[in-house]
Amino acid sequence: MLFNTIDFVLFLPVVIFLYFLTPQKYRWVLLLIASYYFYMSWKVEYIFLIVFSTLIDYFSGLKMEKLPDRKSRRPYLILSLVTNLGLLFAFKYYNFATGNLNLLFEEYGIAYRFPISRWLLPVGISFYTFQTLSYSIDVYYGRQKAEKHLGYFALYVSFFPQLVAGPIERFSRLTPQLKSAHHFSYENISKGLRLILYGLFIKMVIADNLSGIIDSVYAAPQNYNSADILKAIIFYSFQIYSDFYGYSLIAIGSALMMGIKLMDNFRTPYLAKNIAEFWQRWHISLSTWFRDYLYYPLGGNRVAITRWMLNIMIVFVVSGIWHGANWTFIIWGGLYGIVYLLEKLTNRYLPVKPDAKAFSPTHLFFAFKTFLFVSLIWIFFRSQSFAQAMDIFHYLFTNIHTHKTHLSIPVSTWIFLSIFILSDILLYDKRFDTWLDRFPYLFRWTVYAIMLFAIVVFAGVENFPFIYFQF
Amino acid sequence: MNRDLVKHIFLNLFSLILIILLMSVVYKKFFYEKDIQRYSDIINTVRALPNDADIVYIGESSNVTAGGDDRDTRYISQFTGDYFPGLKVCDITKPASHAGIFKVLLENIPESNQMQTLVVTLNLRSFDAEWMYSDLETPLQKSIVLLKPGPPLWKRFLLSFKAYDIKSKQERYEQIKRQWLHDTFHDLPFDFPYRNTIQWDKALRKRGIKGKDGKRDKEATTLACYYVKTYAFQIDTLHHPRIKDFDDIVRLAKKRHWHLIFNLMAENTEKARELVGDKLLFFMNNNARLLEDYYSRKGVIVVNNLNAVEDAQFIDRTWTTEHYAEKGRKTIARNLALALKDLYPGQFKEVKDAHPAFQTHFENNCEKPLGWKGENTFTDEKSSSGMFSSKMGDSETFSITWSYPLREIPRRLKNHFFISFEACMEKVDKDIKLVVESADPECRYWKAYGFYPPPSAPHKWQFYSYRIKIPDQIKNSKRVKIYLYDPHGTPCYIDDLCIDIQ
Repeated sequence: MLFNTIDFVLFLPVVIFLYFLTPQKYRWVLLLIASYYFYMSWKVEYIFLIVFSTLIDYFSGLKMEKLPDRKSRRPYLILSLVTNLGLLFAFKYYNFATGNLNLLFEEYGIAYRFPISRWLLPVGISFYTFQTLSYSIDVYYGRQKAEKHLGYFALYVSFFPQLVAGPIERFSRLTPQLKSAHHFSYENISKGLRLILYGLFIKMVIADNLSGIIDSVYAAPQNYNSADILKAIIFYSFQIYSDFYGYSLIAIGSALMMGIKLMDNFRTPYLAKNIAEFWQRWHISLSTWFRDYLYYPLGGNRVAITRWMLNIMIVFVVSGIWHGANWTFIIWGGLYGIVYLLEKLTNRYLPVKPDAKAFSPTHLFFAFKTFLFVSLIWIFFRSQSFAQAMDIFHYLFTNIHTHKTHLSIPVSTWIFLSIFILSDILLYDKRFDTWLDRFPYLFRWTVYAIMLFAIVVFAGVENFPFIYFQF
Repeated sequence: MNRDLVKHIFLNLFSLILIILLMSVVYKKFFYEKDIQRYSDIINTVRALPNDADIVYIGESSNVTAGGDDRDTRYISQFTGDYFPGLKVCDITKPASHAGIFKVLLENIPESNQMQTLVVTLNLRSFDAEWMYSDLETPLQKSIVLLKPGPPLWKRFLLSFKAYDIKSKQERYEQIKRQWLHDTFHDLPFDFPYRNTIQWDKALRKRGIKGKDGKRDKEATTLACYYVKTYAFQIDTLHHPRIKDFDDIVRLAKKRHWHLIFNLMAENTEKARELVGDKLLFFMNNNARLLEDYYSRKGVIVVNNLNAVEDAQFIDRTWTTEHYAEKGRKTIARNLALALKDLYPGQFKEVKDAHPAFQTHFENNCEKPLGWKGENTFTDEKSSSGMFSSKMGDSETFSITWSYPLREIPRRLKNHFFISFEACMEKVDKDIKLVVESADPECRYWKAYGFYPPPSAPHKWQFYSYRIKIPDQIKNSKRVKIYLYDPHGTPCYIDDLCIDIQ
């Protein structure tokens, strides 16, 4: 059940209506049923995975809490890690790993071949495994008390607004909210609806309309001139942003209507002055997850410079692997690591410091530079193979003088993209729901009317699922 | 809740209703028709129906697909029309479609249309799992959302929010597999070792089909398995969704007082018997009989063509289709005409050879499909006459293509091609050429002719005409093609292509 389908348009109001009708004591039952139903709408069988993962982590947590020290807790942490990462490996990385091994066998004349798995990747597996892993690790370190109530724990793992693509919430933040009583609040409903409206607008009108244009260029870059390829590269930066940001806003808005506040996942990332800042603004719940559960345990920056550099590279490469089982994602992560290190190391030699005031010429210059880097690095993320990424680079620089231009971009796409860019600038470090509060009624409703009209009339009609669902 | 809040909520609801009403008016006035042309241009086949049509034939590609060696490439519906010179027989053809799509299209025929008889293609294969859950289902279902009854803005909302059967390739494949597995064979009058299609397919694949040399014939085995997967099913008239669609058509025909004929298409039963055996034939005949009985009881005339076409007349040799060569199409048309004879006894005229031995004049104004190649390039963006033209550009480097077995024309009558057309380029591109090609391997030929006078200005329709001597080497060609070739993909529109052979 995608957020931009009629199923969700019907599902959400029903759940919210029942939520406020249900006594607080039983709301977890309602939300758990709703969340499992939401998940099963993709493939019924995969509910067993989430239940399995939930049970393992629930019991591991309980056991760990009873044990006095880390050493004795370790087997349960390992059980949790092996279960969650094992599931992730089996469904997400098995074919990638065995495919590469088979190639290696072929190279060395070994006859054996690993069979190929035909299992569908369960939607959101990377998200909920990371969410539940963070719980196990926190309990192991004693930072978090184990949850006694299986129902609430299961709801923490599967809470439907953020189940399949985040934000990846921490137990300590989400569960107390799930447990506390939320009364019907007009303000929450209104703000939640605003976020959903804006989220749908940027997903359905911006991302989905750009998608077809980008797909055609990536499918046959040789047919396009350099300007067209450049447009596709830039468009992809906006597509993935509006797609994922849109999803996050709908998730946050849906939860907010029930009084549950999910963390912000994006803060105008394309206005970041450098890569480090970009990752503080992009997919924040994942960046902070990697910071807390990988970077810090590796020693963070309180180590020798070479070790620190290695830590950075490890974090970015693992982040790449998390996104997908393909060399392109590994390269994508690795490139971020390299650019991050280069920026950190050269920062001190820059004549102008990037920590300038918002929207000063210096800020805009550095933001443009960061956007350019990010857009080029996205090429690896979007490409299905290394060869395809190389083709894009090749034709970007060699098709300069050809007159071929097949890219037809509707005027409406330009208009709405411009509106999106403008709104993103206006929303710098703000969120749409609160930003709109300062304006008079008529202005607010004009904005709603434009967005509503655009969503209904200009939405892309092809089925482009949210990009991050595949992760 | 305090009074102010209630007032505020009512004000918001009022604003929302106002916005929706405004949106509805604006959408209907400025965007609806554009969206129909963009997403549901399938409706144009219905709109093109003349108001005074007597018989309307609705079908999929079986109606229009012609064989490479066909002398007459006309449709089944056109051949049928030959038997009724006094009646207007028209067609609505949408490749890959089925009763669920026909139903929506038929509902869009205006009440004012005078048609009396509706002929609906009843394709046995459209009941099988692979067609039911084909990849093509998603775009087909999408194409009819705007055509269903309801306010335009509501329908556009449903389209935007994907309120139709939308599934990925992998999900469709899973649906197919599930059906093959769960539909168990029952009530068979013979002992049968397999419980379902999957088991039968597996066993056949394991056993294989032996070639003349006694070895496993890989291609024949694949084809045999394909036949099993396509035809080894038993229709359940109570629950099959396709039955429901046909039932709806029956209801619609009754409501609109149309005579209704279901034209059950021929399948390659000869090949099915040769590759798989009589057991598969039992399934095919049994299903056909069941459909015939079921709909006859509902007052529909069912023309059963299942075994009417011989193997040699099936165009596709490596998979199962209802694409027939000329003789096959004529056989179906004749069977249909004989059934129609009961409805129009005074109009029927026996036809021995319903088409001239050869043709020397061809024209295509791009307004409706005529069975030429490249008709997928039709667009309503620009036209010299009517509403449509053929567009090159984007990924299309060829225009509509005339294709004909030149050897059918007596030698003395084929000295010159007289070719004319209208062209309009978005950018002057002198590399766009008119091409004469012989695709016959025994007399290969390819020659390109530039535009004369050269195109002078973009966005302007210009008339071009050519007199080309027909080279001796292609006079006996099985297939000569004439088309426009656009090597750079510059957007270029072609209309009113006319070819005379003298």
